[in-house]
Amino acid sequence: MKLLTTTNRYYLLLATLVFAVGSVVLYFGISLALRIEVDEQLQNQQREIMRGSRLKAGLLDVVALSTEPQPAGLRDTMLLDPTENVLVPYRQLSFRVEGDGMPQWVTLRKSLLETEDMVGLVLTVMLTVLGLLLLSLGWLNRWLSRRIWRPFEHTLAALRRYDLQHQSELALPVHTPIDEFTELNQALLHMSQRLVADYQSLKDFTENAAHETRTPLAIMQAKLEQLLQAEELRPATAALVGDLYSATVRLARLHHALTLLSKIENRQFPQAVPLQLEQVVENRLRMLQDFIDDKELVVTKQVQGGPARQMHPALADSLVGNLLQNAIKHNHRGGTLHWTLTAEYLSVSNTGPAVAGEPTRFFERFRKLNPSSESPGLGLSIVQQICRYYGYSVRYTFSAPDSTHTLRVEFGH
Amino acid sequence: MKILIVEDEPALRSSLVEYLRQDGYVCEAAENYRAAHEKIKLYTYDCILLDLTLPDGNGLDLVRTLKADSSRAGVLILSARDSLDDKVLGLELGADDYLAKPFHLAELNARLKAIIRRRQFQGQRQLQFRDLCVFPDQGLVSVRDEPLPLTRMEYDLLLFFLANPNRVLTKESIAEHLWGDDADTADSFDFIYTHLKNLRKKMQEKGVDNYIRTMYGMGYKLSTE
Repeated sequence: MKLLTTTNRYYLLLATLVFAVGSVVLYFGISLALRIEVDEQLQNQQREIMRGSRLKAGLLDVVALSTEPQPAGLRDTMLLDPTENVLVPYRQLSFRVEGDGMPQWVTLRKSLLETEDMVGLVLTVMLTVLGLLLLSLGWLNRWLSRRIWRPFEHTLAALRRYDLQHQSELALPVHTPIDEFTELNQALLHMSQRLVADYQSLKDFTENAAHETRTPLAIMQAKLEQLLQAEELRPATAALVGDLYSATVRLARLHHALTLLSKIENRQFPQAVPLQLEQVVENRLRMLQDFIDDKELVVTKQVQGGPARQMHPALADSLVGNLLQNAIKHNHRGGTLHWTLTAEYLSVSNTGPAVAGEPTRFFERFRKLNPSSESPGLGLSIVQQICRYYGYSVRYTFSAPDSTHTLRVEFGH
Repeated sequence: MKILIVEDEPALRSSLVEYLRQDGYVCEAAENYRAAHEKIKLYTYDCILLDLTLPDGNGLDLVRTLKADSSRAGVLILSARDSLDDKVLGLELGADDYLAKPFHLAELNARLKAIIRRRQFQGQRQLQFRDLCVFPDQGLVSVRDEPLPLTRMEYDLLLFFLANPNRVLTKESIAEHLWGDDADTADSFDFIYTHLKNLRKKMQEKGVDNYIRTMYGMGYKLSTE
């Protein structure tokens, strides 16, 4: 619910409550005051009559004389108004007068109709004022929201548009008419400046580290390659140089994988294009044909189309490549490799011996299923990072009866 | 064949120069943007090996200069950055190929030869090596005018050897040349062995000597002797 609506509700609720209580109090207060006033008037008349003076005409509505005893004192009663033919409330005062011989009972009556009208008027006025107040409150708040909350809406819109990839600070006015919003904007500006600086330094570091380690690696590789060409190399030395060369290549590969991982984490792959994953998988399978043939794997597929996915081509290729390489690497001779692509998910299943350990840990870095393998064990970490980047989820399942491992990437949306 | 090597790292520059000189290229080297720019303006080269990150400028600007001068030189970018954007930008500007550091010298040599072949002879060239004759454009190989049918892998492998005759090619560089990023999928060295065995067999069936020697602990070598 909007902040404005919420506060409005409380305002209106309180106003209604106050007005209701006020109306009741006012109603009873005025009734009571009027009643007391009428009573006083009646008693004044009584006193005048008792003193023996004549009844003043016009002051009272009705005077009744009766020889029958009447209960003395003040009472409420209803009398029929003959002209309008309705019952009208009256206040009456009865008392005994010792006249000429026979005692007489005088009943003085005064209409309460005016009081009723008064109360009605009061209520009408109160309700009108209440209505006006509510309306004006609503109008005021709407006006306030348009005027005073405008900087806030502006800040919100700027935050929504904000993208760290563009490496620009938030475009917010430093001064607004409202102190709180000014403070908010300043805090946000400060935060975005720090974010941009952190992001930039992280990016610079990754790029520099990548660049600076690549060059010595290139030198090592080139010099070792030259060394291998030397005619006078003895076989024992040659083997040593060969081993060194292999190690350098492995280091380069590791470096490449780690740089890719940190680039994904730093979200340095902003451009996405619509990609048909089926095509990506088919291409990659063609490139891996040698390895598939060698293990005599039977590749089957089940494709139910699905829309093109918005992905960076290099990341899509890396995701698919790692899934397929994994399925080939951990397969046994003559096994199967089955892949499924639907609108909801891409899954790659392969036969292979069961592996010990917690399935979720397979995605950890440097987690090797086969300790003697030369690969650094980053393939599934890369898969997971790419999935996280695009908001996909990846799950590993193992079905014991046919010893099938399945990695399933669910697109989720 | 005249080649300009633009590389700011002295150790790498000297390796490149030495490696390529052995192949009969005339090599010149530039260690920064300014020197490279001067050389490009003064002389003509058949191919330029270009490092993108130079101490005083961006190598991509040199590509722009070359294109503006409508130079006939081929451009092979060597970059320590392997971001796809750099690659795309470089190729869009008119570079012929792109190699990320670290690279194998043998791979660099093979790509360099491919560029020169495409540029200078419009692809109309055959490679002669002893009794072997390769027509890279058509992907054909013949032995004494008799066709030698090869699989794609065997052909790629042979061409890689022909680009680096008399040099030891490490198993790693062969694997990466043939399979690229997939080189470490399975035991790719076994595949090299299988493909090599088949290649040797096919050549022997045509009565060709075993040109490809195994260098123990290091790799293989196409021998001219």
